[in-house]
Amino acid sequence: MEEKKNIILSVKDLVVKFKVRDRVLTAIRNISLDFEEGKVVAIVGESGSGKSVFTKTFTGMLETNGEVTQGEIWFEGENLMTFKKDEEWMKIRGKKIATVFQDPMTSLNPVRTIGYQISEVIIKHQGKSKEEAKQEAIKLMERVGIYDAERRYDEYPFMYSGGMRQRIVIAIALACRPKILICDEPTTALDVTIQAQIIHLIKELSQEYGFTTIYITHDLGVVANVADVVAVMYAGQIIEYGTVEEVFYDPRHPYTWGLLSSLPQLGEKGHELFAIPGTPPSLFEEIKGDAFAPRSEYAMRIDFEEEPPIFKVSDTHYAKTWLLDPRAPKVEKPVTIQNLHEKMVAITAKGGIYGERE
Amino acid sequence: MKKYILGRVFRAIIAVFVVTSIAILMVYTMIPKDNVFRDDTGQMSKLNGNPDGMADFKNNKWEQLGYLDFQRQAEMCQSSSDYNACMLIEEEPYVDEYGQDMVEYHYSDVAQEVIDQYTADGYTVSYYTKGGFYAVREYSGLEIIANFYKNFIDIDHPWKVEDPDNPEMERSVYFATDYNGVPAIKCSGCEHNYLLYFDGSFPFIHQNFIGIDFGSSYPTYQNSSTLDVINQNQGSLVSEERTLPNGNTAKTAENYHTCVYKQTSALDSRDLNKFPDNYATCKTYYQDPSMVTISYMFGIISLILAYLIAIPAGVSMARNKGKIQDKIGTVYINIMISLPSLAFIYFMKLIGFNFGLPDKFPIFGFNDLRSYILPVIILALLSTSSVMIWMRRYMVDQSNADYVKFARAKGLSQREIFRKHILKNAIIPIVNGIPSSIILCISGSVITETVFAVPGMGKMLPDAINSFNNNMVITLTFIFTGLSIFSILIGDLLMTVVDPRIQLTAKGGND
Repeated sequence: MEEKKNIILSVKDLVVKFKVRDRVLTAIRNISLDFEEGKVVAIVGESGSGKSVFTKTFTGMLETNGEVTQGEIWFEGENLMTFKKDEEWMKIRGKKIATVFQDPMTSLNPVRTIGYQISEVIIKHQGKSKEEAKQEAIKLMERVGIYDAERRYDEYPFMYSGGMRQRIVIAIALACRPKILICDEPTTALDVTIQAQIIHLIKELSQEYGFTTIYITHDLGVVANVADVVAVMYAGQIIEYGTVEEVFYDPRHPYTWGLLSSLPQLGEKGHELFAIPGTPPSLFEEIKGDAFAPRSEYAMRIDFEEEPPIFKVSDTHYAKTWLLDPRAPKVEKPVTIQNLHEKMVAITAKGGIYGERE
Repeated sequence: MKKYILGRVFRAIIAVFVVTSIAILMVYTMIPKDNVFRDDTGQMSKLNGNPDGMADFKNNKWEQLGYLDFQRQAEMCQSSSDYNACMLIEEEPYVDEYGQDMVEYHYSDVAQEVIDQYTADGYTVSYYTKGGFYAVREYSGLEIIANFYKNFIDIDHPWKVEDPDNPEMERSVYFATDYNGVPAIKCSGCEHNYLLYFDGSFPFIHQNFIGIDFGSSYPTYQNSSTLDVINQNQGSLVSEERTLPNGNTAKTAENYHTCVYKQTSALDSRDLNKFPDNYATCKTYYQDPSMVTISYMFGIISLILAYLIAIPAGVSMARNKGKIQDKIGTVYINIMISLPSLAFIYFMKLIGFNFGLPDKFPIFGFNDLRSYILPVIILALLSTSSVMIWMRRYMVDQSNADYVKFARAKGLSQREIFRKHILKNAIIPIVNGIPSSIILCISGSVITETVFAVPGMGKMLPDAINSFNNNMVITLTFIFTGLSIFSILIGDLLMTVVDPRIQLTAKGGND
């Protein structure tokens, strides 16, 4: 995060709160994060950690009961958080920052043709005529791997399989030529072989079109395969941030350790799979100290009293844990995740997403 | 798809006939058959004190209506060995115990044989007070149904007319021009003179090849067939200068396309003057539209109005969920649902009356727009609330769908999303219901038509039931059943137009 780097989107001290039946829930707690242009950033964390909410703020798509109470998001010299009206968001949403959602089966309007749904975006954002838009849409469909696109242009979503629908969703997202593509668990609803194809496709396209990709996922296999940078989220905060190598092979936060240890591939036959004990804290209450402390076997007294600052591990690697404080006792990461790379290579030698890497 | 539709149509037809048969069975076997005369007070009082005439009239009518088989003495004696002996009635006067002169009637042995024969065949033989006998056998339920359908479809052909006074009659179907010079298919020997003709009234092309016969209406609208009662125009006659079939012109209200054969023995001098042939019984032009037309006019205009109001209102409620538009709409819907419709009709009538609108339809009649305003508005408003509430509901449901979220992420504005995506999804169930509302609007306007004294078809069914007009009840049952079944089919077909996911196939799945 040096000045020289080309930062495309910069989040500063973001706080998002939700009103749920007269109670206020803090979903995002003071996140600051910079996204580098052209990189693939993966945001990982368990359900409810705020991954989706965090990225929704980039396009102003928070649910109506949600509100950004504090913080700034800078994109192309504008603070997006000053936007009040939907019209202002129209310049950004879809056009500059596009989103691909989790479930391709329901992301498309069932009673409009595939072609209509793609060219609609091209007409809207690129101002082309209907005929031009159709040509471009067919090109895009071919690009995302739809055979016989010309004929399938006039078909309806129910005639497409899940994987093909996700390709269409990606094509629609690309139709706007976005600067940033947010992929909100793009492969969760797909089966494993299709997952690999879709991830491969997004990766290829990001190089071809030169957009920055933000992945939201809880599939660490996907992260290892595609990401340049990983941000680990827990209870509305980013608790570790670094390049994929750093986070995988030199994780520093006990939560990251727990996450990696929970990889089912690392389980040994006859032993129970590892799971992080306990549940995430309630976001309705104010969290004191380190949010992960009650579940962490490495927790120290300070973890229950004061929130840890962000410690710098290297120029690209940061973690938010008291364990990095010089005064903290020295602890080793769990045995399970030592020599993770060798283990993963050994496990996935026969195939799978991880095995495709390099 | 084609196969499926054919199958559905086939099943629909069967269903209509099953329902009609049940209706026939119920009407004919469960309602005391004497009830049919209750409203024919004229005839009843005329025959009061004339028991033989009464029995004759009743049995005749019952036979005509299909209740029973009625055999007079003459018909019974046809089957005897000696007709004259059978018909013979001997009178033997005597004085009874109160000193009154009485007559006892004796019948021949031949007649007794016939009577025994008929009794053995299941007939009940009765005697007239003034001499003579007759036999009556009530039909069983199955026979009643069979008899009803036997005459149901009436195909006209050149050998249909039997007229002993006109043996030389030509029997053929031929192309010709009518008295106005318009091409038509005519027939000689058929019941109808014109089998196919064109004229200026809807649906412009008319045929008489196949007729459907539900029997005649009784005791209300006597002597016309039930279909004519519903279909024929009403009001006063329209006399205009017209070309007569023989080429002359005269001021008349007769419609010469509708003429049917009149037996030569029944032709009078006026008929002979006007008509070159025996087709001399014609229907007449009336000023006002038929009951069906009136009900439909009201129904369809008010339905269009209702959808024009309710769909935008429902959409606007959904788009502004929780805001002032939604709240006003909810209040309106609640009022409309909780208010009894009769109260609403009178309330609106009062308001309309203060603006100078007529409170009864016949005040200004058919040719004045003001007659229509109040009934149409009331009918429309009555059906807005349910369309509004469903439209809002479907829209709100759809606006939480994932594709809406994605459409937003695509950068479409809220307006575009509602117009291009949500509306098309939300309208699907509404579209499905439109045909049935259109077709069923006849039966839906009973109260309004009664309150405004509109001569429509809405209260035809309750009226027919009240006056024990059996054939009318059956006719209406047939029509309403057919309309509802086919409107559901049309609704389903329309769904396939608006929703590409729905395909009608015989077995389901892909076709």
